[in-house]
Amino acid sequence: MFEETIVAVATPPGEGGIGVIRISGPQAQAIGERILRHPSGKAITTWPERKVRLGVVLSSEQKIIDEAIFFFFRAPRSYTGEDVLEIQGHGGQKNLELILSAAMAAGARPAEPGEFTKRAFLNGRIDLAQAEAVIDLITAQTDLAHQAAQEQLSGRLSTYLRQCEERLLAVLAQIEAALDYPEDEIPDLDREEAGRTIHDVAEDLRTLAVQAEKGRILREAATVVLAGKPNVGKSSLLNRLLGEERAIVTPIPGTTRDFVAEISNLQGLPVRLVDTAGLRETSDPLEQEGVRRAWRWVERAELILVVLDAAAGLSAEEERLIEDVRGKKRMFIILNKSDLPPRLTVAGLPEKFSGLPVLTVSAFSGEGLEDLETKIREELVGKDFGRGHPVIVTSLRHKEALERAVRYLQNVTAGLRDGLSEDLLTIDLRAALEALGEITGRTVSDEVINAIFSRFCVGK
Amino acid sequence: MAQTKTYDVIVVGAGHAGCEAAYATAKMGFRTLLLTLNFSNIAFMPCNPSVGGPGKGHLVREVDALGGLIGRVTDLTHLQMRSLNTQKGPAVRALRAQVDKRRYQEIMLSIMEKEPLISLRQGEIVDLQQSKGTAASWRLQLSTGIILEAPVVILAAGTFLRGTVHIGLTTFPSGPQGQHPSISLPEKLAEMGVRFRRFKTGTSARLRRRSLNFEAMKEQPGEETPHGFSFWIPWKPRLQASCWLTYTNERTHEIIRKNLHLAPMYCGAIKGVGTRYCPAIEGKVVNFPDRPRHQVFIEPESAGTDEVYVAGLSSSLPEEIQEEFIRTVPGLEKAEIVRPGYAIEYDVVAAEQLTPYLQLKEFPGFFCAGQINGTSGYEEAAAQGIMAGINAGLYLKGKKPFLPRRDEAYIGVLLDDLITKELDEPYRIMTSFAEFRLSLRQENADLRLAEYGYRYGLLSEAEYEHFLAKKERIQQIQTTLEKTAFDPRSAAGRKVTEQTGITLQQRISLAELLQKPEVSYKMLQEVYAELPPANDEARVVENQIKYQGYLAREAKMAERLRKMEEKQIPPGFDYNEVPNLSTAAREKLTRIAPLTLGQAGRISGVGPADLSALLIWLEARMKR
Ligand SMILES: Nc1nc2c(ncn2[C@@H]2O[C@H](COP(=O)(O)OP(=O)(O)OP(=O)(O)O)[C@@H](O)[C@H]2O)c(=O)[nH]1
Ligand SMILES: [Mg+2]
Repeated sequence: MFEETIVAVATPPGEGGIGVIRISGPQAQAIGERILRHPSGKAITTWPERKVRLGVVLSSEQKIIDEAIFFFFRAPRSYTGEDVLEIQGHGGQKNLELILSAAMAAGARPAEPGEFTKRAFLNGRIDLAQAEAVIDLITAQTDLAHQAAQEQLSGRLSTYLRQCEERLLAVLAQIEAALDYPEDEIPDLDREEAGRTIHDVAEDLRTLAVQAEKGRILREAATVVLAGKPNVGKSSLLNRLLGEERAIVTPIPGTTRDFVAEISNLQGLPVRLVDTAGLRETSDPLEQEGVRRAWRWVERAELILVVLDAAAGLSAEEERLIEDVRGKKRMFIILNKSDLPPRLTVAGLPEKFSGLPVLTVSAFSGEGLEDLETKIREELVGKDFGRGHPVIVTSLRHKEALERAVRYLQNVTAGLRDGLSEDLLTIDLRAALEALGEITGRTVSDEVINAIFSRFCVGK
Repeated sequence: MAQTKTYDVIVVGAGHAGCEAAYATAKMGFRTLLLTLNFSNIAFMPCNPSVGGPGKGHLVREVDALGGLIGRVTDLTHLQMRSLNTQKGPAVRALRAQVDKRRYQEIMLSIMEKEPLISLRQGEIVDLQQSKGTAASWRLQLSTGIILEAPVVILAAGTFLRGTVHIGLTTFPSGPQGQHPSISLPEKLAEMGVRFRRFKTGTSARLRRRSLNFEAMKEQPGEETPHGFSFWIPWKPRLQASCWLTYTNERTHEIIRKNLHLAPMYCGAIKGVGTRYCPAIEGKVVNFPDRPRHQVFIEPESAGTDEVYVAGLSSSLPEEIQEEFIRTVPGLEKAEIVRPGYAIEYDVVAAEQLTPYLQLKEFPGFFCAGQINGTSGYEEAAAQGIMAGINAGLYLKGKKPFLPRRDEAYIGVLLDDLITKELDEPYRIMTSFAEFRLSLRQENADLRLAEYGYRYGLLSEAEYEHFLAKKERIQQIQTTLEKTAFDPRSAAGRKVTEQTGITLQQRISLAELLQKPEVSYKMLQEVYAELPPANDEARVVENQIKYQGYLAREAKMAERLRKMEEKQIPPGFDYNEVPNLSTAAREKLTRIAPLTLGQAGRISGVGPADLSALLIWLEARMKR
């Protein structure tokens, strides 16, 4: 069905060990023949299915990039239903990028996000619900996100929505029964009570939709940017939060020239931490570029940690930075280097910053860091997230359907209040149920009829 | 050599479907034979003497709009007319008539007799052949040896096919109300390869009016200004007869519960599937044990007899038990049963063999209509009758079938449901089935369908002109409302303000004013001399103005539906080709073979994922 052969790294970025490159499409074998060799250097001519084989990967200049294990899957018995070549190389980002570019030079194009799954779906290897859940699984990089994806798969969301549907159906069935059987003894609709029910359901669905926003953060990882003057300890903090020496730290101001972005697991929440070049006026063109990029990250961030050096005090530039960012973005003020004698304390901050959250930490001793993690997590997804609410919606499609349902239900509550006739009330009530049906897969028309006849004794 | 008679169309069965079908093909210019087992029972109503109600009344109006008969005959024979749901909103307002059963039959018979192209004959079919190579492709033999031939057969045999009646544990082959069942015909059809299912329905006892005590019941008189169904004949209300309301009680239920072992539905004697729509009293007592009482309506069967119908007490318990529990009901203490209630099992054509325009897929020229397709009700039968008739006519003319969409008519909903829903009980139309309920109002049925009726030849020139003039008047009302400004300072304006409390700064039209919930057309008509009286014509305009927001929403939805209906699935399409269909969907799609993607989507078990897989596949196939 598809002419193009696609390639991508199949393991999440930023993880050590091995990395998997997946190539799918009609050219998969031809590409393999170009970029893979026996360890002896001989060309590979046979492509048995599903066999573990050892080889070396060549760059377009025929240089050996890596030693690798590879598998070949012939269509349609592969994940995507097409010819698939999987190469397991050594994990580092750089290394994988080299293999990627070799595959691209040999004729593959980079895959769009989720494209393998899309092909798998279109070629009949998986169904839509599976496809969605898998896409979420792929992007789920930490425990909590993984759990949400699992829940969606196992139908906890469906069960929860089922209860909402039932409550709506009870109201709808009563209206419909009376409309279709005007001469039977159906109790009159208690508009107030029905209004309350509908309102409650709408609230529940809205909560779910709001949670879905957090579900998105789970899936896509929120961006948290460390910004501040040179030498305040941004890179040190990044390393601390990541738990590895990722960024270079020196006592020389202006050490970080380009940004460093890395996915981190903050108490189960995936967060993209970005360390940036220290913000200052400079004539060095390289550093200027770094500062420009730092500002761009500030624009894109969901949360900004403005790092100050507590041992140094607050400069006018830093004051301006805080003024600049507040109101535009969510931010924390971080007083770093709390292990040194303080020049700047929480109390010592200017009056005008009194409303802002301030945390005192030491990248050096680790003091206050756990608290910082907790505060970041709470800021992004709330205190009870992942504990209180029974289900988490992570699919954008579901979130949209929930929001639509809520809007229709708001029309119904308004209609009930304003004395709208019952045949018109059903229009929005049904529309809401249909929106939920897009998630749960249930057909409203059948459900209503069943509800009518199971609840009311009608017909002569 | 047996004598052979040839026709264009042979309609088998002269019930509510058969009469409409024969009338339609005759009006389309085809020589039509209306064949029935018993001529005395033409257009007989074996169950309740009533026509219409929500959904059903809409169907009557639609059949009438197309030029069919049920609306006219009901108007001419009604004993009582009621408007239902008058306070529940424009979509569900519906007429319901009590009719004089005997007169209904007489009038229908006289219409059939007067129609020059309709021949009538009583006879039982003993053989049925599809003759090959000749123009007349269906060959029917009667028990008397007569041979009938026609290129088209419309089977409208109701509940007669292998009918079996149950009263208590007594069982005997029978059609409804003691009529002769049809035994050979279903056998011949089965030999031909037609597949049947077994359905079940029932009716209640008939009582002698003079044995009842009406003092103990509540009278339900007719309305002061009743309305009629038909768009085409002048409406003449007849003397309105009353119905009577009474209730069952714990004693009634006790007797029923005690005798359930004698109820064929509960002791396993009946294997056919019954309906939830008209449950027997046994079913009500069993399924709703907490209900202390159930309604019982006494309805007149005919002005010419003393027989009355007991709505709400349908039962197949033994006759003496029926008498026992009936007599516990206030007013019925001394009731004399004229005919007992009973349950009837009968063969219905398994719906997946039908196209939505009611032709058997495997047998060109063979149409089925009415209860034989698994529906219940006179109105549903009539709707299918006229549709089978029109489509048989179009088939003979070599033209495209006629199939109103779900957003055009309840008839469209009915036919679509029939083939996509896989009925597991007799189908009764309900307004809840119509997702475009607000667009499908009873008062605009002619605006939706009369054009078709005229185009196919069912409506006369005169009727069509009458329709065009009405349309013109409706447009006129609309224009007047749009052109007339509401001036709060004028005398008329002040009256409106007085009644509604509406005060307005800017000048608006009466049409805009009418959008406000407090304002009605009737109110405006009383103060604005240029507006015609608040009749059905004005109501069309009023509803269109008042509900334009909702109507626009339905129109948008209908547009989406239309797109799906336009995506045709080629006949004989192999669903095994499509990867990624669920097993259930693959099996059902193969069996039902929907004509369009729209229909496919309405089959239960075919989910959105199946639909997108199918869509992608069809598109890909088209590109190849
Ligand atoms: N005592 C102490 N020293 C710290 C702490 N955090 C960072 N430092 C030191 O401060 C210096 C600068 O640290 P970096 O992390 O490179 O600072 P930066 O903000 O990334 O600087 P640029 O990249 O130049 O913008 C290094 O010598 C660190 O060891 C801390 O919490 N306590
Ligand atoms: Mg740095």
